[in-house]
Amino acid sequence: MSEVNALPAPPAPLTASWRAQLPTLIRIYGIILTLVLLLAVVTIGNPAFISPQNVFNMASQWAPAGIMAVGMTFVILTGGFDLSVASAYSLCAVVAAYVGQTHAPAVAFIAAIAVGLLFGLFNGILVAVVRINPFITTVGSGFIINGVALVMTQNAAFLVDNESFGVLGAGRWHGMPYSGMLLMLFLLVFGFVLARTIYGEAIYAVGGNYEASRLSGIRVRAVVASTYVLMGGCVGLAGSIAASQLSSAQANLDPGIIFDVLTIVVVGGTSLSGGSGAMWRTAVGLVIIATISNGFVLLDISPYYQSIIKGSIIVAALALDTGLTRLVRVK
Amino acid sequence: MVIEQVNGNELAARRTAPVGKRDFDSTVAIRVRNVSKSFPGVQALRGINFELLSGEVHGLVGANGAGKSTFIRMLSGASQPDTGEIEIQGSPLLFDDPRLQCDAGIAAIYQELTIIPEMSVLSNAFLGQVPSRFGITDRKRMLRRFGELSQWMGLNIPPDVNAGTLSVANQQMVEILRAVQTDQNVLIMDEPTAPLGPYERDRLYKLIGRLKESGVAIIFISHDLDEVLNLSDRVSVMREGLLLETRAAAKWTKDTLVQAMLGDVQIVPGKKRNHATDEELLRVSNLALPGRLSGLSFGLHRGEILGVAGLVGAGRTELLRCIAGAEPAAQGSMRLAGAECAWPQTVRDAIKRGIVLAPEDRKHQGLVLSRSSLSNLMLADLHAVAAGAVIDRGKTRAQGEALARQLGFNSKRLDTEALNLSGGNQQKLVLGKWLNRKPRILLLDEPTRGIDLGAKQEIFQAIRRLSDDGMGVILVSSDLEEVIEHADRVLVMARGRQIDLLDGRGATVERILNLIFAVEGRANESGADR
Repeated sequence: MSEVNALPAPPAPLTASWRAQLPTLIRIYGIILTLVLLLAVVTIGNPAFISPQNVFNMASQWAPAGIMAVGMTFVILTGGFDLSVASAYSLCAVVAAYVGQTHAPAVAFIAAIAVGLLFGLFNGILVAVVRINPFITTVGSGFIINGVALVMTQNAAFLVDNESFGVLGAGRWHGMPYSGMLLMLFLLVFGFVLARTIYGEAIYAVGGNYEASRLSGIRVRAVVASTYVLMGGCVGLAGSIAASQLSSAQANLDPGIIFDVLTIVVVGGTSLSGGSGAMWRTAVGLVIIATISNGFVLLDISPYYQSIIKGSIIVAALALDTGLTRLVRVK
Repeated sequence: MVIEQVNGNELAARRTAPVGKRDFDSTVAIRVRNVSKSFPGVQALRGINFELLSGEVHGLVGANGAGKSTFIRMLSGASQPDTGEIEIQGSPLLFDDPRLQCDAGIAAIYQELTIIPEMSVLSNAFLGQVPSRFGITDRKRMLRRFGELSQWMGLNIPPDVNAGTLSVANQQMVEILRAVQTDQNVLIMDEPTAPLGPYERDRLYKLIGRLKESGVAIIFISHDLDEVLNLSDRVSVMREGLLLETRAAAKWTKDTLVQAMLGDVQIVPGKKRNHATDEELLRVSNLALPGRLSGLSFGLHRGEILGVAGLVGAGRTELLRCIAGAEPAAQGSMRLAGAECAWPQTVRDAIKRGIVLAPEDRKHQGLVLSRSSLSNLMLADLHAVAAGAVIDRGKTRAQGEALARQLGFNSKRLDTEALNLSGGNQQKLVLGKWLNRKPRILLLDEPTRGIDLGAKQEIFQAIRRLSDDGMGVILVSSDLEEVIEHADRVLVMARGRQIDLLDGRGATVERILNLIFAVEGRANESGADR
């Protein structure tokens, strides 16, 4: 009868010994340990790794994927998913290059961001209002977006012959790349939004329990849709940076970037089922993935092994996370 | 296990009559000796002794919370007794696996339907026991057996449609067919007639008669006492985890049954309060929710606690959800503090008007389990602890601690994830979340379900304080004593309709149950509103 339906869970002890808390601690902070170990190995193998020159190059190189990972963190925290980012990234780059051929760079980048926001809104409405599964929605919209880019370019590259167009992606201030600074800014600002604002709190609540959030008066649909719009904006900026770095763009710029973006978020420890994760985790994930890629070059390991080792680290990180989660729950 | 198996090859021999006659080693199908079971904070079963004879229909009645469901869950092997033993046809029952129970010869139909809506009727009927040949499902055999059983049961349900497209009544019949097709010696039915209309009920009664003739022993649980008395050979009454008495059905009357279900406990009417003021906070007129509720009209005064009593399925939860704006299909008119207003269509709508709901299902509808207690407390009114868009952590903590004090919630647990809290503490969070918004009307759905006594008291102290301050409260609880103790007036519901609106001073458990079971006849049915 009634008392059977809801057995009270045993209350967690208020103070547990550190030994008992170890699985919990590893689960929360284990990823930092992984990062430190990785940094140590690569730095010892080749001290050039921590030279400012190398660090700045990495920041610039990983700015597009990192900025998109910021948006993806929001989407995944609400329990969503966006697979259209690879296509949208290329389209935004194409738009930036196309507009950049005839207009000022600022106009080109704003146009690219506007296109990103527009397709983000499209995804957001389909997922949050029409309520189609985000996986299917964004696979579908990915095809549409890719098609638009192909039609625009007729599968040719757009070249931009304008030196100031390259400033966003390749420009530097005292050696520090603007793109890397933008990445830092995004991580900090949106990290703050997530951790300290009403909007951030609503993101966690909706991802943790959609129905309870709805019954608590949170605008659940608006919150979910907004994450896709934010994602779109990030994609627009990332595409602009990529076009600026290359001074050109084409319809299939880097189809594999979607895996980098998802990996960065998930390796950091943000849960794919929504409601749990943080922006600092995405930052850690980004440094891990960037270090692995860069480390292979610096340590002179054959790039053929890179995929195997990268994949192993990702699987191991997730297995550890899932295994420890279960261990913590069982206790 | 040496248990008479009635499966496999024998099935073939019995094909002419879909359910075979049985030869029994013993005439006692189930014997239960001194079985007890407790859950944290509740003694659910106390020293139950029980015998089920072969070919008997045994009625089991008791108020909500008497322990019936716990008892039958135990018989069907779903949970294990703390002490005591259960024998099925002379062999002790082992508690490992529901499939073993099936081998032991027991099938159960639970209150909640276990139909898988996306699968066909046929697949549902043979769920878990698909006839197969070399691992390939034997569809011909399934269809033939389905046909035989349908005919025998008087059903006319197409086997290939998705079970989800059937009416609830037909889903229930498929569920019964599934239990019958396993051809077991004992069939447990928990409220099988609740979703059925009069016609289907009749068919089920006939079916029970036939099963009985073929030697199946049946435990029949229902809140409809007429039905129990008509169908059963013997009837047992449970109360507060005790099995009080078993008598031949002819030796019971409806009145003696109700008496036994209630016991001699005199409900303390002395503590009656009437804090309600004359000022009407909310008036609901002609509320209807198609298919679920109709013709509900009542008022709620400032400072009043209005209890809602009724059986499971009477529409109590739906009533609260309608008022809270969670049922867009609700129709009716609402007056709020004297002003006519449209029926709230969304939850946000209702919240803006100061109407909030603490839902029955805390884990799925009340809390974000993965977040801290503090986050959950602030969930419903983040703007109150924020400057602009940014949350003020100091203010949040201060507010959280104030709420914790008010509810008797240990403030050291404010940073604990809601997942790791006891049911009582979780309920305090759900309440606290709304108190933080200072609502005008608080709707409580089973606020004390699964909660220990101490937490119950703290929760009611908080509710009373709030109503003393002028908040209107609507309280739904299956615990009638709780409703009577705390409510100023009691709205009695049955089958989606308002049966009566009792003054708190005149309400007793007996009177309410009599109304619900219509022992008093149906004179008050139109729902006199005072």
